[in-house]
Amino acid sequence: MQVRVPENLTLMEKLNILSDAAKYDVACTSSGVNRSNTGRGIGNCIEAGICHSFSADGRCISLLKILFTNECIYNCRYCLNRVSNDVPRATFTPQEICDLVIGFYRRNYIEGLFLSSGILKNPNYTMELLYQTLFKLRTEYHFGGYIHVKAIPGADERLIERTGYLADRMSVNLELPTAEGLKTLAPNKSRKKILTPMRQVQMRMEENRNELTLYRNAPRFVPAGQSTQMIIGATPENDFQIVSVAEALYKKFELKRVFYSAFVRVNEDSLLPALPGGPPLLREHRLYQADWLLRFYGFEAKELLSEEKPNFNVLLDPKCDWALRHLELFPVEINRAEYGMLLRVPGIGVRSANRIAKARRMGTLDFADLKRMGVVLKRALYFITCKGRTMYPIKVEEDYITRNLLNVKERLPFELGQDITYRQLSLFDDMHLTKETG
Amino acid sequence: MENTTIFLCEDSLDGILTGVYDAWDSRLGHKNVRLETRAESNLELFCEYRDVERDLAKAEKVLNTVRKRMGEEGEEAVCYAAACTDRRKADAIYRIIVLGLHLKNGRDAVNCLQNEDVALVMKLRQKAWHEAHRMMGFVRFEELQNGILYSQIQPAYDVLSLMAPHFEDRYRQENWIIHDIRRRQMAIHRKEYPWVLADAEMLNPDYKKYYSDQEDEFQQLWKSFCKSIAIEERRNPRCQQSLLPLRFRSCMTEFIVDK
Ligand code: SF4
Repeated sequence: MQVRVPENLTLMEKLNILSDAAKYDVACTSSGVNRSNTGRGIGNCIEAGICHSFSADGRCISLLKILFTNECIYNCRYCLNRVSNDVPRATFTPQEICDLVIGFYRRNYIEGLFLSSGILKNPNYTMELLYQTLFKLRTEYHFGGYIHVKAIPGADERLIERTGYLADRMSVNLELPTAEGLKTLAPNKSRKKILTPMRQVQMRMEENRNELTLYRNAPRFVPAGQSTQMIIGATPENDFQIVSVAEALYKKFELKRVFYSAFVRVNEDSLLPALPGGPPLLREHRLYQADWLLRFYGFEAKELLSEEKPNFNVLLDPKCDWALRHLELFPVEINRAEYGMLLRVPGIGVRSANRIAKARRMGTLDFADLKRMGVVLKRALYFITCKGRTMYPIKVEEDYITRNLLNVKERLPFELGQDITYRQLSLFDDMHLTKETG
Repeated sequence: MENTTIFLCEDSLDGILTGVYDAWDSRLGHKNVRLETRAESNLELFCEYRDVERDLAKAEKVLNTVRKRMGEEGEEAVCYAAACTDRRKADAIYRIIVLGLHLKNGRDAVNCLQNEDVALVMKLRQKAWHEAHRMMGFVRFEELQNGILYSQIQPAYDVLSLMAPHFEDRYRQENWIIHDIRRRQMAIHRKEYPWVLADAEMLNPDYKKYYSDQEDEFQQLWKSFCKSIAIEERRNPRCQQSLLPLRFRSCMTEFIVDK
């Protein structure tokens, strides 16, 4: 399949092709950096990030998410842009991207740019184009908004470094959770080739931190940190493997975020799973929940899953599931429990744990206070006492609590497919109970 | 119970802060006074009413004291809570300030969620903050022929002055207007000047005839982008609607159907 360059595409046609091709990249966050206007141009950044719209799939639109080009010399099996696909191709110029970014930003459509790309000619050539685009935006237009850019594996180290000084966030996609998965589905990529730039960005960030402590005005390298994403359900890894990989990325590569993307089958390919039920959204959701537990709740992967129990419970979120397996630690007294333990109570989030910790210094707390602080009592009540008393008389017993927790409907961000009906849910419920108690 | 004096204030931050000043200054005792905003008040028998006239100097004094004694968090709580619509807000703001000035460390006032007034102020703060933060993303500007960026909003709460500073920084080199069509107010920013609040009656109603040449093209590009970025296999309008309720959409380019 040779590269076809259709002539005279309008900006609208290019935008359609190159945003459509970029949509499977999950990250659209604009968070992680605070920067006010430089005074010369347009734009600033807000630490928390800002969502500007939500698309029909319910995902946040914060950045103009596009590919520089969807031409690609590689043939990753899961990807629409692979060289063997016959799809319309397009390539932006740096100028066109600047026009779009500034035009959109002035109208407050976006927080900034998310720029990825297929591999045009070779990694260096591609990376150079990304660099030039960012350079133009930052120096000609003095654009101070958010920029997330891909580091292309295999590109020259210096090129990646120069680009990183213009970006807020950089990411290299892990693509698949294991090296074996990568070998089968992305024959032109290798784990090593992906981890090399990731490590490089990490090292450079560390050096930059040192520079910044010495010279406050030193240029900042990737101030919003590094992220990655992996596709879930295209290859046979279990949840335990995936969560362990994520944990390693947080600990050893100091990533800011790991994103999970439920596999969408866009290509006919015998090596790809069929997925009659659509993308594995519930599984993706459980992984995100676990990811939060790793990052903000002090959990470790091996507390959540194990070789013997390698996949998440379909019916209960990972925190409830963990708590039910550790009833010996409960109930905890709200007025005395350590902060770290408060975080482990189902129904108490980071925000409510903080509120509790601050408020109890000012006076004893009761259940009515907890409710005002945002604690989900329906869930928490089995695990806590206030002034030594539980909210209702309860049995600290796994079957009993499980049954009650299952009656509290979990708010999922999507509708479960018809394949799980209420009857099956209760069936599952019994299975779960017999398995756990048997 | 008997002899409660009600201070009726204008429903605005300055109005409420003036009320706080007057109520305190009256020396009637905290438990004998109550603050209400005119919009929310039902006249009660056996109460004495006092009209509070908004006074920027008094409001400024109170806010300075809040900032000094209760810290940035306390100041923010008061300002954001005042933007909400709630019958009890003016009085709750008064009570949290009384508490803040009584505590040894006034910064702790915002943490006393056992106290119902504090809990209310903090809840309202959260609601207004959320609304303001959403509006910062959902505001859509249109470029007029003279290069001015113009936008209309209809926020649920009075958050215009809470969000304007964000755009002042973001678009320092631009002339822009954010027009709250529900409250008939606008924030106006002239390039390199601080933003100001103004009455929207000043606005020329014909402004829409004067779009810039590029405006339509950018609107079309944006609409088209919003469609192509969605993944069909994950289609989920219910989720979309809970994150972006319909009430916002009438002012958002991508949801306005072309004529
Ligand atoms: S490198 Fe692979 S995943 Fe990336 S665009 Fe090319 S074919 Fe797609």
